[in-house]
Amino acid sequence: MNKALALTALISLASFASAKDITLVWSGAVTGPTSDAGSSYGKGVEDYCKYANSEKMLAGVTLKCVIRDDQYNNANTQSNFEEFVGNEQIPVFLGYSTGGMLQIKGTVQETKVPTLTASLHIGIIDPPNNQYMFLPVASYSENIVSLLEYVAKKERGAKVALIVNPSPFGRDPVVDARKAAERLGLKITDVQEVGGNNLDNTALLKRLEAQGAKYVINQNTAGPVANILKDAKRLGLLGKMQFMGAHYAGGEDLTKLAGDAAANFIWVTSYYMYDEGDKPGIQLVKKIGAQFNQKPDVIRSVNYTSGMLTASIAIEAMKRSGSTINNVTVYKALTSMVGSKKFDPGFSVGPVTFSAKDHVGAETMRLLQADATGNFKAITGPMQSQMFKLIHPMK
Amino acid sequence: MDLLPQLLIAGVVIGSIYALAALGFVLIYKSSRVINFAHGQIIATGAFIAFALTQKGVNFWLAGLIAMMATFFLGMLIERVFLRKMVGEPIISVIMVTIGLSSVIEGLIHLTPFGAGNFGFQTPAVLSGDGLNLLGTQLSRTQIAGVLAALGLLAGFTYFFNKSTLGITMRAVADDQMAAMSVGTSVERVFALAWAAAGLTAAAAGVILGLMSGLTLGGLAGIGLKVFPVVILGGLDSVAGAIVGGILIGILENLAAGYLDGLVPGGGTREVFPFIILIAVLLLRPYGLFGTKEIERV
Repeated sequence: MNKALALTALISLASFASAKDITLVWSGAVTGPTSDAGSSYGKGVEDYCKYANSEKMLAGVTLKCVIRDDQYNNANTQSNFEEFVGNEQIPVFLGYSTGGMLQIKGTVQETKVPTLTASLHIGIIDPPNNQYMFLPVASYSENIVSLLEYVAKKERGAKVALIVNPSPFGRDPVVDARKAAERLGLKITDVQEVGGNNLDNTALLKRLEAQGAKYVINQNTAGPVANILKDAKRLGLLGKMQFMGAHYAGGEDLTKLAGDAAANFIWVTSYYMYDEGDKPGIQLVKKIGAQFNQKPDVIRSVNYTSGMLTASIAIEAMKRSGSTINNVTVYKALTSMVGSKKFDPGFSVGPVTFSAKDHVGAETMRLLQADATGNFKAITGPMQSQMFKLIHPMK
Repeated sequence: MDLLPQLLIAGVVIGSIYALAALGFVLIYKSSRVINFAHGQIIATGAFIAFALTQKGVNFWLAGLIAMMATFFLGMLIERVFLRKMVGEPIISVIMVTIGLSSVIEGLIHLTPFGAGNFGFQTPAVLSGDGLNLLGTQLSRTQIAGVLAALGLLAGFTYFFNKSTLGITMRAVADDQMAAMSVGTSVERVFALAWAAAGLTAAAAGVILGLMSGLTLGGLAGIGLKVFPVVILGGLDSVAGAIVGGILIGILENLAAGYLDGLVPGGGTREVFPFIILIAVLLLRPYGLFGTKEIERV
């Protein structure tokens, strides 16, 4: 009898402890490939998590803010996921890379732990095993299709080249881009894969020029794109070709690396810019960045804002879970984040909405163009791609 | 404008940088018969030291020189602490030490703010203006400066090995350590100097690479592996081989990118091509174009 009482007390104590301490873990590339984006993203997640604690966003709950470096290695992502689901019973998992997220989809489905990803690969939320996978903002495919729509409006029949990262992240939107280009009357002249270490892009750019490609769309991180732009400037091609890019291709990171070669680059993203200081979300980014002593270049990075959005969605879902925070209640909170329950922390140009069928958060995007000083200015209002819904309906 | 001359010129430019990056391998192998797998990490160390100094307001050129001096002493330190104890040990043990060093140095860089992220030097004013149009190929001032610096250092080391007493002593040590020791040569001093010189050239390569294409740890450390085909093609113990190998690999990469990428879905042949050459050279001429063919009598 005494033993039973002691066991009950222990379990109660354990339950009490777990109700007070909840782990919010992000597993991503703090080092290794794509860490140029991942390091700022991770800082955004961590700082927002610490900010939530300082603001006591979750009554009676302290978040343990954990950043795990998976080095862009899928096996590390898998083991991080299993460790935290197994040992900490996390209610939600924040992931990063395309490869890692595609690898853990099956395990996520089995464990029923809602997972928000930094990768915006549409395959992550396509069947099978897509029930618990969520993208915070519009996918790469939707990014690229919206750029193609823009090109088609400017010049029907234009020749377009795609330069993509040699990875699932880069290759993701190619199929949808081809379908969209066909419907929009555009011609895709070439799809070339370019990764980091692209020290010289003369051959690539000269071939695209010979093909008559007037628009070059990049699905890559900022580093390789910056080298392409610098070479295009050197070869006198910036006036002949319009360079464009999806979410991870642009922003402050690009202008910092490419300098004046980034001028006129057109970029599509769902996030507000650091320079839009009148937006409440950007004011919050600056406040949190200053509170946790981040360096100016980190705070200016759109990836810092992106990390904050993802963390804010997870924490809001916990908040809406009520007194019991676990994977079941968080999933329910996420999938009812729609209509009057939409969530708008102000980081993205549209609100975050999810439902059982819709696993893309902020679906609105804007096209922005870099000016001569390297600042990106919006050239469209918030919009959604109409074509994308036709060629890739949500399943 | 015909594509071929442009590909050739761009190939020479990038090949010169490869040659400079490969020089560190050659300097160490030439004197001590050690292949340094941590060379890419030393390149990264030099580049980030220079970058950190420019961030503190130090003039770019001065920062480059300080970085070269820093990696000069780093090379010397590595030799003194780790490699000297390995003299006479099996070659596989020495190789494992350099592989271990590559992990340690990379791990230490991760502890700095430069472990993650993309960084870029502020281009010095003198390199910012219009470049040069050579046979229809526009070269930036940065590229021209990179090629000149690379060729200058390579020429300097060629002269050093052929004409200076110390250079000839280093070659003698590489040729026969016992014979060199018997005439009073300090083998330890020669090894230390070789590592120091390799460190110096690594920083120069890192700064030039960083100026041309930005600074990332992965990218800079990866150059160490990328130039491996260069030294295999040119010959591990030949400075002239590093120059010819670097330029040949640069040109072949560009020709592959220009003419083969369009035929292969996704392209990327320039990444593979040097390693095809590496395999071919190892099969047909394992000592490279200019390397020393070793003959063993049994």
